[in-house]
Amino acid sequence: MTPPVPVLWRTATVRDVVAETAHARTLVLDAPGWPGHRAGQHLDLRLTAEDGYQAQRSYSIASAPEAAALEITVEVIDDGEVSPYLVEEVRPGDELEVRGPIGGHFTWSVADGGPLLLVAGGSGLVPLMAMLRHRAAQASDVAAHVLVSARGEQDVLYGDELAALEPRDGLRVARTYTRVRPQGWTGWARRVDAAMLDALGPAPGAGARCFVCGPTPFVERVAQLLVDAGHEARAVHTERFGPTGG
Amino acid sequence: MAPLSRGFHGRRREGADPSRLPPGQYLTPDFPVLSAGPTPRTRLDDWSFTIDGLLDAPLSWTWEELLALPSETFTVDIHCVTKWSKLDTAWAGVSVDTLLDGVTTEAEHVVAWSDGDYTTNLPLEDVSDGKAWVVHTYDGEPLEPEHGGPARLLVPHLYFWKSAKWVRGLRLTAENEPGFWESVGYHDYGDPWREQRYWSD
Amino acid sequence: MSDVHLDGNGVAGLLGEILAVEVTTVLRTCQTCGDRRAIGEHRAYRGAGVVLRCPSCGDVALRVGTRPERLTVELRGAFEVTPRA
Repeated sequence: MTPPVPVLWRTATVRDVVAETAHARTLVLDAPGWPGHRAGQHLDLRLTAEDGYQAQRSYSIASAPEAAALEITVEVIDDGEVSPYLVEEVRPGDELEVRGPIGGHFTWSVADGGPLLLVAGGSGLVPLMAMLRHRAAQASDVAAHVLVSARGEQDVLYGDELAALEPRDGLRVARTYTRVRPQGWTGWARRVDAAMLDALGPAPGAGARCFVCGPTPFVERVAQLLVDAGHEARAVHTERFGPTGG
Repeated sequence: MAPLSRGFHGRRREGADPSRLPPGQYLTPDFPVLSAGPTPRTRLDDWSFTIDGLLDAPLSWTWEELLALPSETFTVDIHCVTKWSKLDTAWAGVSVDTLLDGVTTEAEHVVAWSDGDYTTNLPLEDVSDGKAWVVHTYDGEPLEPEHGGPARLLVPHLYFWKSAKWVRGLRLTAENEPGFWESVGYHDYGDPWREQRYWSD
Repeated sequence: MSDVHLDGNGVAGLLGEILAVEVTTVLRTCQTCGDRRAIGEHRAYRGAGVVLRCPSCGDVALRVGTRPERLTVELRGAFEVTPRA
């Protein structure tokens, strides 16, 4: 099935902004005519300055397809051009242009079945959160194992929502902190490795659909670990972030 | 008509010396990494630099031989077609004049080629008379692979895609032969001061 | 690895302008190694323009000169495209 061509730019209005961490926030958008999306897809966003200068970036969609509003979560990139504007400047009522949804390769719906293995590096959690929200909205009990790698507890997106989702209905969420270990933390505090993926499961051979999202080096490494562990290469879906100038 | 993004200014040109910033460019303190492909990993033992094409006999230098040639240290501004410019970049390397010393040729153009099958075309006169170098040192350190190390061509008066990363040779040609980007719309010459970004510019 | 590539998903908006279909699921058979892989799995690089490379052999699948008002495109390999309904 081929969805409509995603090239049409449309004006979206910022309905609300929600702080997620000190460096990231969610923009809630009203986008009249938005055709809907599948969990895991992204959109292109375009800004126009008074002198006509335009800048364009891609952002993963955070909201479930079932949600009433379209949401993206943006993390500030140091010295970035667009992300500081979206995280620090934009306020409700502002207009932006968006086009999409984009991407048919890095998507999941409950009809695709499971089990699911979702591995996020930093803000790579955003499209995976859309999948988890979709799963919850559909009251699906598909097994979903989630590994979130973040620098520290303060950098985890959607921390409260993740905590509220688990542990039930076949959902298992694990975290690893690569820089700052929270006080009293007894969990993982290192980069994602083979032992971690082995402990989390699902085991290779269970036919898991694997989705890995994060910065390019993170995705390269985790995808290789999964294939080395015996997961089918074509079941390992990847989405890499920047560097595209922020 | 696109809606204006309140408070969005984009990359700023303010404070830039107009005599050093070509039209349409912005200044960056960073050194952005752009690449047409993966970073090649050629061992220095296997590396060589070759000049072939329209000359009596091809010339070739090993890495050791290249380092033994007279090296020049210089500071220039660089301008990328994706609109960033970086001022006062400090390099060291071998002038292309040194490599072409004693060569007689009918050629009017060169094709620079690199590991990873990248190519870019230039007029021979634009890599002559102190206008181009094969550089191996940036800011006093060996040139990083992500920036084109072990050696890249440096032709600072043209857009930076002409300064081929991972350069391995120059082929002297009679005719202009469009390279990797020039064959999909980018300007054959690429003068940043005349904003020659694309074919029709 | 110090590659600065993204995957094909990252330039899907641009490719949508060219191919006029949802492109990341389009299958491409490589002219060099013969592997048949989704565009979303290809590797995308940004230099002066955009390059998409085969994830198996690294050869060029697509080159795009990205001038503002006109894209110049070179496609290589066999693309299996489902026309719009």
